[in-house]
Amino acid sequence: MNKIYFSIVFILFAIYLVAGCTEVPEPQTPSYETTLDASEDRNSAFKEFFPIHYQTYLQNEDDSQMTEYGGSVPHEKHLCGDLPKAYKYCQPYLKNLWLGYPFSFEYNRARGHTYAVHDVLDIDRINRYSEQAGLPSTCWNCKSNKVPGYAEKYGDDFWAMEFHQFREEHDMDDHTIGCNLCHEPESMDLRITSVPLRDAFEKIGIDLENATRNEMRSYVCAQCHVEYYFQDAKFGAPAKPVFPWTQGFNPPETYEYYKSFGSTTREGFEGWFIDWTHPVSDTPMIKAQHPEFEMWQDGTHGAAGVSCADCHMPYVRLDGKKKISSHRWTSPLKHIEQSCLQCHSDKQPDYLKERVIYSQERTWEQLMRAQELSVKAHEAVRLASEYPGVRNADYDQLMIQARERIRKGQWYWDWVSAENSAGFHNPAKAIDTLASSQQYSQQAVNLAMKATNYGIAPDLEGNIYEVVPPIEEHSRKLQMSQEHLDTHQWFQYLPKFEEADLVWDLNKRVSN
Amino acid sequence: MKRKEGISLTAVLAILLVGVALTAGAGFTMKATDQAEFCGSCHLMYEAVRTHQQSVHSQLDCNECHTPDPFIPKMTFKTYAGMKDMYKNTLGNVYDVIHATDSTKEVVNDNCTRCHTMTTLNVETVKPHCTDCHRQVPHLRTLPIAQRRVADE
Repeated sequence: MNKIYFSIVFILFAIYLVAGCTEVPEPQTPSYETTLDASEDRNSAFKEFFPIHYQTYLQNEDDSQMTEYGGSVPHEKHLCGDLPKAYKYCQPYLKNLWLGYPFSFEYNRARGHTYAVHDVLDIDRINRYSEQAGLPSTCWNCKSNKVPGYAEKYGDDFWAMEFHQFREEHDMDDHTIGCNLCHEPESMDLRITSVPLRDAFEKIGIDLENATRNEMRSYVCAQCHVEYYFQDAKFGAPAKPVFPWTQGFNPPETYEYYKSFGSTTREGFEGWFIDWTHPVSDTPMIKAQHPEFEMWQDGTHGAAGVSCADCHMPYVRLDGKKKISSHRWTSPLKHIEQSCLQCHSDKQPDYLKERVIYSQERTWEQLMRAQELSVKAHEAVRLASEYPGVRNADYDQLMIQARERIRKGQWYWDWVSAENSAGFHNPAKAIDTLASSQQYSQQAVNLAMKATNYGIAPDLEGNIYEVVPPIEEHSRKLQMSQEHLDTHQWFQYLPKFEEADLVWDLNKRVSN
Repeated sequence: MKRKEGISLTAVLAILLVGVALTAGAGFTMKATDQAEFCGSCHLMYEAVRTHQQSVHSQLDCNECHTPDPFIPKMTFKTYAGMKDMYKNTLGNVYDVIHATDSTKEVVNDNCTRCHTMTTLNVETVKPHCTDCHRQVPHLRTLPIAQRRVADE
């Protein structure tokens, strides 16, 4: 009996000694081995291996919660009013400012990754009334798990292929942004599947093979949350996505970048890249798209090495014990405790939220002013180009300069507008960019006035919302109606579309 | 009579030896359970130990900061904290982000001033805790997450 007692005590003591000698490992990520194929692109295939990660991924389906300036309800960004269709923080001039470009048909607040394929199939920007989408297959690039496979199968021919061709191949749940875009299916190591990000990093000398874990925790997001453009055929594979980073990440540098890489022969803009020509002011425009990575990288958090995942994929303990990275990508204001307090442990959640809103409120205010001035600039150039009175001797040059300022002013505000943090990712840069935008748009107004010897000045006086009313309704369907086109003075510069029925409803063909 | 005295001397010696052994054992145990090697035997504490090892305080035991210094308060604090941590680790649930309790914050702060009295002798410290200025001392908490944490811990 005594022997048994002694043995038990001894064993317990031995365990205790061993426990007490444990060396704490370096932050090594756990390694995995799945039986999945390297080319696996179905989200559901990963579910059995990683059920709790998958559970947090499915939380992306919640599209009901807003924060103050962000959130997940996919309301129309230009509509002012009540959720779910509109919101109190709206940008009423978006349709005016993007007139003649697909963004004027539909542009909504982003929601969870689980909706990406559904939403790209549903959006009115892509022409569902025709066998021709009007936009290339590149539009699948940041939506679909099948893109790495397509890129391998078709190579650079993929980009310019017909978008509609791939609709039916897509399952809206299984192929929406998911596991394989950021993970090696076999080992689950972080990986970069994005063709344009690999290209862009190679050009600017960022070596992905030697990227640290901390860097990868942002690079996986930089695959998509960046500004991009589709390559002009003159410079390589047509419609291939390119990130315009060789001169730098910021509005001034990317604006300079876009003075190349186009094929226009238009006077004053020879060789410049053009996304579309604004029909009202006849200005060659560039469109900014969600430059989260560029905004973040030299902001207070980004410059300090705090990654996207630090705030957007905080560690959670679903079973109350082991940590996993939350795969619910949404506003961290919905989970300040997990996201912010792992560093700012001395602060209260309400205080942190107020600090976020402090930046966002000011950014929003200046964004509104910048967009109003941008509308005024388009209107000034429109009036100047139709001005019947005596023109300035230098009229043509002044008009070129005015349009260049419109382009620049709009590029700057769009860069902030399209970015999804309402300034928080980089408060100083957001405000600086909007202040610059306002200056450039005002210069455009001044130049247009000078070109007409200030003859148009009286027409620009007063409240801009009365001079140029915001366009509330516009879509591909509406542009088929003359009645609709008669409702706003700026619509007179749009062609009437031919009547047509829907060909596509999501991934189903509805008519021939 | 003589024989009896001999027996009692042996008994006293034996008791003394046992006493010394027990005291040494208790001392050893107390010391061992103050140290990062012991605290870090729970995965939940990996981050704390990892950041401790990188810090200027890496040569100190965890409990030179985390328990009171005087013997009696130390014993009671250790017993209570140890039992609570064991409960949380086994039957309870652990928060997503682990924070120090108010009592731990006070204990830690007292230990700051215990060792660094001379430095602050001639100044008035106005913030509630030393770490309100010396912000990296609480486990390098402003380092990017990748330098502190990994999954599964």
